[in-house]
Amino acid sequence: MITAERKPISEIKEMIAPYKKVLIVGCGSCVAECASGGEKEVGLLASALRMDAKASGKDIEIKEMTLDRQCVYEFIDQLTDVIGQYDAVLSLGCGAGVQAVAEVFPKVLILPALNTTFIGQTKEAGLWIENCRGCGDCKLGYFAAVCPVTRCAKGLFNGPCGGSRTDRCEVDPDVPCAWQLIVTRLEDMGRLDLLCKVHPPADWSKQQGKGPRKIYREDQRS
Amino acid sequence: MDQKSAGLNITIFFCQQLDPQQDVNRRALEKELGARIRFFPLPCGGRTDSLHIMRALESGADKVYVITCPEGACQYREGNIRAKKRTAYAQELIAEIGLERERVELIALPAGTSSTIDKLARELLAREATLGPSPVRAKQA
Repeated sequence: MITAERKPISEIKEMIAPYKKVLIVGCGSCVAECASGGEKEVGLLASALRMDAKASGKDIEIKEMTLDRQCVYEFIDQLTDVIGQYDAVLSLGCGAGVQAVAEVFPKVLILPALNTTFIGQTKEAGLWIENCRGCGDCKLGYFAAVCPVTRCAKGLFNGPCGGSRTDRCEVDPDVPCAWQLIVTRLEDMGRLDLLCKVHPPADWSKQQGKGPRKIYREDQRS
Repeated sequence: MDQKSAGLNITIFFCQQLDPQQDVNRRALEKELGARIRFFPLPCGGRTDSLHIMRALESGADKVYVITCPEGACQYREGNIRAKKRTAYAQELIAEIGLERERVELIALPAGTSSTIDKLARELLAREATLGPSPVRAKQA
């Protein structure tokens, strides 16, 4: 999923300062799972902003709404009947959600309340870790489903750097050495032979080399 | 001046395991103070939610108390620890908009405490009012 964190309230206040009617729109998908942009977070932010406005005597109306997904037209369409009542929309969606809503309603100002951070996994309650960079050339099959590009601080494809200490990364002792995990898992599976393959440097043209990427599937189109 | 005399609006979220007769015990105080005191019994302190605290403040509470069982004595193991974390989150959030963190306070009762919710509430009301009315409520009026 895509993870995100709320911007500081001061930054959000600065963005919405010129407006009298603001709709806060959450997203019930990834950012709800990482507790930054779901219905509850919409309520927390709306409550905080309304209290701030009252305390400082500002005349501003702030309403709440949460879509199941903010990056898919069928869900964004739920805003059609209400969005015209507002001067601005404060989106608690990820960057893709903000842009998708803005594309559907090009005359409405859509403001981001989150900083979108990474593709990650819910490791445990309240802990999300980055484990995929969306490089477009997945090699997890060779590495016991541990991505050395993302989880090795040095992004090494062909073995460990040798700097790890007691299975911890030398760059950050809180993080397990990705290569230790890879070797241990392959050993447990009896597939250390997979490490005999030498991998050329990652082909980053598949990620960013040609600008924004797109996936086109004729069978999925109407 | 104590909090009662200062006319503060008090909201109390509390674990009802503290006082099995809470629904009866709080009635006299509710009748006496009317809308100035609001009780929210929770099945466990772990049901405390930062959003509920924020809504209480937004609705006009000058002070929100979250009362839990003593640490280590939660019937559901970790409810009071969760209440502590969620109270802290609400405190951080209101600090971001310039409200005093002290407007939200967690009270983990000392081990061995045996009291009723009305007695606990009266003790809180008798505390010195270190905060005035919330600027949120002051502007609402």
